[in-house]
Amino acid sequence: MHSRTETIAPFLQHTLPIGALLLCWELVARTGLVNPYVFPPVSAIVIRLFGLFGNGAVYVPLESTVWRAVVGLCAAIVVGAPLGLLMGRARWAQWFFEPLFSFFFPLPKIALVPLYVHLFGLFSFSKVMLIFTDCLFPIVIFTYHGARGVSPTYLWSAQARGTGRVRMFWRVVLPLSLASLYDGIQVAVVVAILVAVVSEMVAGGSGLGHAMMLAFRYGDVRSAFAFLVTISLVGFLLYKAVQLLRDRLLFWHVAES
Amino acid sequence: MSCALYLRLQNVGMRFGEGVVALDSLDLSIAEREFVTIVGPSGCGKSTLLYLVGGFLKPTAGILTLRGNPIVGPGADRGIVFQRYSLFPWLTVRRNISYGLEELGVPRIERDRIVAEHVRLVHLEGFEDRYPRELSGGMQQRVALAQTLVCQPDILLMDEPFGALDAQTRRILQDELRRIWLRDTKTVLFVTHDVEEAVALGTRIVVMSTRPGRVKEVIRREFDVSDGEDFEANPQFSALKLRIWHSVKKEVEAVRR
Amino acid sequence: MKIVPLLLVVMLWQAASMSGLLPAAVLPSFFAVVVALLSLVKSGQIFPHTAASFLRAGTGLLIGTVCGTAVGLAMARFRPVQRAVEPILLSIYPVPKPALIPLFMVWLGIGDLSKITVIALSCLVPVMVSAFNGARSVDEILLWSARARGTTEYRLWWRVVLPAALPQVATGVRAAIAIALIVMVSSEFISAEHGLGYLIFTYGGVGADNAMMAVVLYLTAIGFLIDRAYVAGLRRLMAWHAFAH
Repeated sequence: MHSRTETIAPFLQHTLPIGALLLCWELVARTGLVNPYVFPPVSAIVIRLFGLFGNGAVYVPLESTVWRAVVGLCAAIVVGAPLGLLMGRARWAQWFFEPLFSFFFPLPKIALVPLYVHLFGLFSFSKVMLIFTDCLFPIVIFTYHGARGVSPTYLWSAQARGTGRVRMFWRVVLPLSLASLYDGIQVAVVVAILVAVVSEMVAGGSGLGHAMMLAFRYGDVRSAFAFLVTISLVGFLLYKAVQLLRDRLLFWHVAES
Repeated sequence: MSCALYLRLQNVGMRFGEGVVALDSLDLSIAEREFVTIVGPSGCGKSTLLYLVGGFLKPTAGILTLRGNPIVGPGADRGIVFQRYSLFPWLTVRRNISYGLEELGVPRIERDRIVAEHVRLVHLEGFEDRYPRELSGGMQQRVALAQTLVCQPDILLMDEPFGALDAQTRRILQDELRRIWLRDTKTVLFVTHDVEEAVALGTRIVVMSTRPGRVKEVIRREFDVSDGEDFEANPQFSALKLRIWHSVKKEVEAVRR
Repeated sequence: MKIVPLLLVVMLWQAASMSGLLPAAVLPSFFAVVVALLSLVKSGQIFPHTAASFLRAGTGLLIGTVCGTAVGLAMARFRPVQRAVEPILLSIYPVPKPALIPLFMVWLGIGDLSKITVIALSCLVPVMVSAFNGARSVDEILLWSARARGTTEYRLWWRVVLPAALPQVATGVRAAIAIALIVMVSSEFISAEHGLGYLIFTYGGVGADNAMMAVVLYLTAIGFLIDRAYVAGLRRLMAWHAFAH
């Protein structure tokens, strides 16, 4: 059982530097050293943030962004996880797909926005497709390595107990690959939000990215900052949610050293 | 003329954190040009003793002096050869050996000469431009020895330097070390768990008690040992080895009880 | 060997285009894209844009790497620095760096400075983390060995910790390169007058799909080559390390 002082100290340690930085920001913004329209004080941003949540202006874009990110991510899991598993266990799949993923990995997929807009239109679908494309990579790669890395001893001991190939897959390979898949999902969820927001910034439509760009265009830097903070919070919360769910979903998994 | 109080440990104690007493009331004196080996059961603190002399740890009790001066921290006057990983992996053999000279500010031409001399000394001609990862364990230890000797330390500390090597390589390196020592007669403090090694190399053998470590007994080796000698065939050797082995064994059993 | 799957995909693409399955209005054929790319190269049009893009990305990457390494090492060396920087770092982490582009354009103008700054900031984070972890995981024995050979505490960092941490820093830089490219393209989509992202955006906007795809292909190839060159360069420069990439 931690005493109160034991839990307070690290919490303070963690928040103090951030608090100090925010305080500096607030003071610098208020002293008139910088243009307050361009460099709004923290308090003004926070007020605007609450305002946006209060008058509901944030909910539609928030919902759009999150919905797109989640749909794109789920699509990537549905397609990418089986593909990664296949690549991990079937020689031909590895031979064919691995070089493809390797080759396209360094391309910043964001460069495909104009192409996707051309193919899929200006609205949600093109953005979801881009999120799907971008999330596919970490999911496939992680699952692939996970499926490949299944220690032979597991397979041999299952074989020795008379497990056929198909059952082997379901009872041994799949559970062990799930942990790697989840690692991929943790990476992909961050990518999903990032791609959602950036594609909205570039291609418009509803969504936090576009709302932020609009705010900048109208010179409403406070709202723009508020949207930026919202974006960051959403990303952070989704990442944390996935991280916390891990223990509940993978409760059976014992981390191999 | 050798000074009997070259290295002096007086009432040295070492306590780690929560009541782990590694050494207690340890007294030891070493004369110049002695080759002193230290044996004892596992956990008796022999390595700790070495690290204290090296200045890497500070004793919680007692004092250590070298040539009358207290030991306050690590320094080039106390060279140390570890069991492994003491070579810089990013430097070649040549650069590893010349490192100490560079730190001492020795000019280039002089450095090259000394390095070449030591490469010859440890029989590593032809390997000057190799990296540590390209060398065998035995070769790495030769480099470790050379890189320590170039600094001309007042005392050479060795922490089970041949412990990670196979029996044959160990024997070869023991003979080489003896050869080098006879040529140069440095003062050496050599820690080992191998009783035979302790007798083969040491002119004085220190037996340590089990934890908390103290000096149990100190035995002088009254006879000479030559390179390539068959120890089994030497009755004096076998007798001394047996005597020390029994002494150590008693300490091991004292723990078991 | 490795190139065959790629060739197969290309052949499939071309076949689909030629057979009419994939109309040119949807996606130009592979040959059409190659022709467009060749004409861009021949006319020399693509090179100033390539230079503009990679100058931005490269500068940002360099600044981010140097600063990231310095801060990471400082964090490993001085506990107060770690305590001060770490929470701030963790807060910056969830911010999608391209989202900072318009903000920095408001602060630093629409020119290269704002873009380079955001790229530098984006690259700083992974390199800093790698440098910090690399410095902290240096084997204690190496440090003791160095001290026992006359290395002062001050020189220890330059002669031992930095080289020992370099492999890990190099891995962080590889991630930073990918990030730099993403931010570079994003910034050029949002506002630019030159650059490969600018070309893609503009060609796409006017419906010049062949040219747009050509630049995308070009960018893909360059990205691939940069990554390969980086890994190969790493293997050579750090031949002493067992890089099992």
